[in-house]
Amino acid sequence: MWSIKPGLINKFGFCKSLGWNGERRMKEDSQSVNQQNAFEKVVEFVDERVGLKTIQAKMLNEPIPGGSRWAYAFGSVLLFIFIVQVVTGILLMFYYVPSTDHAYASTQYIIHEVDYGWFLLSYHFWGSSAMVVMVFAHMSQVFLWGAYKKPRELVWLVGLALFGIVMGFGFTGYLLPWDQRAYWATVVGVEIMDKTPLIGDFLARFLKGGPTPGQMTLSRFFVIHVMVLPAALAGLAGLHIFLFRKAGPAGPFRGTPEEIKAKTDYFFPRQIWKDIVAMATVFLIICSLAFIEPVVLLEQATPDPGDYHPEPEWYFLFLFQLLRLKIFGGEFGQFLGAMAIPGAFMAFLAALPFLDTNSERNIFKRPLALIGWTVVMVFILVFTVSAIINREFLD
Amino acid sequence: MQPKLTAKALCADKEVGKISKVIVDPLSHEISHVIVREMNGQGVERQVPIGQVQEVVSEEEIVLRCSREEFGRFPVLERDQYVTVKEVEIAHLEDHLHVEPGEILVPLPRLEQGVPRRTFFTNMTHAIGTLIALPLAFPVLKYLMKPMFKPYDNAWFSVGNVKKVSKENIGFQFKFTRGFKEAFMPEQQIEKNIWVVKATPAVQKAVYEGNDRKFFDDKGEVIWVNKANSPYIGYSGKCPHLGCGYKWRKTKNFPEGVFLCPCHLSIYDEAGKVIDGPAPRPLDVLPMQVDAGGEVKIIDVEYKAGVNKQIRLL
Repeated sequence: MWSIKPGLINKFGFCKSLGWNGERRMKEDSQSVNQQNAFEKVVEFVDERVGLKTIQAKMLNEPIPGGSRWAYAFGSVLLFIFIVQVVTGILLMFYYVPSTDHAYASTQYIIHEVDYGWFLLSYHFWGSSAMVVMVFAHMSQVFLWGAYKKPRELVWLVGLALFGIVMGFGFTGYLLPWDQRAYWATVVGVEIMDKTPLIGDFLARFLKGGPTPGQMTLSRFFVIHVMVLPAALAGLAGLHIFLFRKAGPAGPFRGTPEEIKAKTDYFFPRQIWKDIVAMATVFLIICSLAFIEPVVLLEQATPDPGDYHPEPEWYFLFLFQLLRLKIFGGEFGQFLGAMAIPGAFMAFLAALPFLDTNSERNIFKRPLALIGWTVVMVFILVFTVSAIINREFLD
Repeated sequence: MQPKLTAKALCADKEVGKISKVIVDPLSHEISHVIVREMNGQGVERQVPIGQVQEVVSEEEIVLRCSREEFGRFPVLERDQYVTVKEVEIAHLEDHLHVEPGEILVPLPRLEQGVPRRTFFTNMTHAIGTLIALPLAFPVLKYLMKPMFKPYDNAWFSVGNVKKVSKENIGFQFKFTRGFKEAFMPEQQIEKNIWVVKATPAVQKAVYEGNDRKFFDDKGEVIWVNKANSPYIGYSGKCPHLGCGYKWRKTKNFPEGVFLCPCHLSIYDEAGKVIDGPAPRPLDVLPMQVDAGGEVKIIDVEYKAGVNKQIRLL
């Protein structure tokens, strides 16, 4: 069997006259240039120098083994949510002032005075929750499809880093309104980071910008939230997509090569259609939540909680509830519950593609993986629900 | 032997056409078909499965298994059902396709042929980069660390009068506001709270274990001593578990009342001892004095939460 390097096809010359580019050029030659309108000329000018049409073709013509699926939409939806978060975030900064004496008032101003301010802020708030939900869905899909396995280990690792960044966004974001919820979530969150071995005390003081939360904390969280994390997320998301394209989509986990080939289509149009429908659905859900449950601030932040029962955002509730258990009490237990177990779990996820080298991707033939995923989901569900039940008991 | 793309295709020793294209399977990355342009007639391009290639005779010639009639029955290439490899992104395609001799070479400029100089420039680039970064590292670190460590504030604050504490062994909350000056900000008034218990001798003993409690400044010098037999005990409002604000509450299991933290449900008795929940140490006793008129004064000491020992932060 012999095969040929694509570069050589060009060298032999026949491809030039037959390729997509060539066809266009030939058409041009036969067409007199002044038949093009001004817009076409500009497009032509840019394309000749940048090769935009080739880039576009390459972006859209990605073969998806086994064909497009709704299950593959999560990644695109995440990118969409992130972009809208950036837009709404920038808009919020037009009024928001990150200082302890103005943060609360400026946020109240956005909610109560600025036209549609309540909507943009509420969208940003619910968008962050949607992001976390989608990250869980995306990770679950990749896990269940066995798509983290060779040769996609690096895609998975960068994905885990992105997961951490999304959590960091949530954590730094809800301090910014400087209300009681913000303040106490941060107090407790930073105390937990303080328990990191060796660097804990430094890390906690670094984040707080002092021994206790105050202006320096707000400044630091603000910079991290609006500059550091977006830059990190944009860069890593770019790398994530690059690595994904490099490795190619994994495709379905069952079916013979012939079946998969028969169903293969390109990213455009069917997958993009599914993606845009999913994006529109998520957008409508976030908008509805922003309308039904707009953000309402609690009292301004102060070290006296009054009647407020501090509680983190819902996606941290299971960890919060975990730390209520007596076995995770005391200095060591707390280290175990807040640091060692989540840390070990993340380390396990990072090591997963290197531990699980079996090439079987069918989830129904990977009983340990299926059981493991179910256990983690049930654990999160049970702990979240019990945190909510405890909430009623406290009131 | 690799046939050139202009190679003749022969069926039963007669040339039927020339190879004009190849089709690659995007999943297996193998060539699946060769496209042979017919010599006769209109020169249609026929799609010949790779299995039909019997032999690659030379760079110029391949032999097909089929007869000329069979060749004529191979489907005509429908060009619009294919794209070129330039228009589609197929991961690793280029790694898999190869011909011998397979590389396309361009000459290296003469000036680039000295390998030691290249190594030298690489190393120098790294060295100068490091020289730029190194002197910045320490100033940047110090810049960011500026507010992290502050001397303790050992000032006394009045928080209220003990007349309010009407019963023994029950927690009473005292709220106070204190000035808080941070960096460039104007001084702000912040609200804080402490809990005061009028302790029976038994509770005093449980708290102090018969010893006076000394409080130190950052140099390790004693700034105040709480007497072991002082009847009023003040607790910092910060829960020693993870820093929330706790309350004095009556619950089903503790009808007399206990200190309960709503965050992680740590429960302490009137002596500050942990009776349930995850807290690692008892409530933090504050340096406190009560003057003849019953005015309560405290030093606003705060300790790190979540550790067994008291580590002073403020």
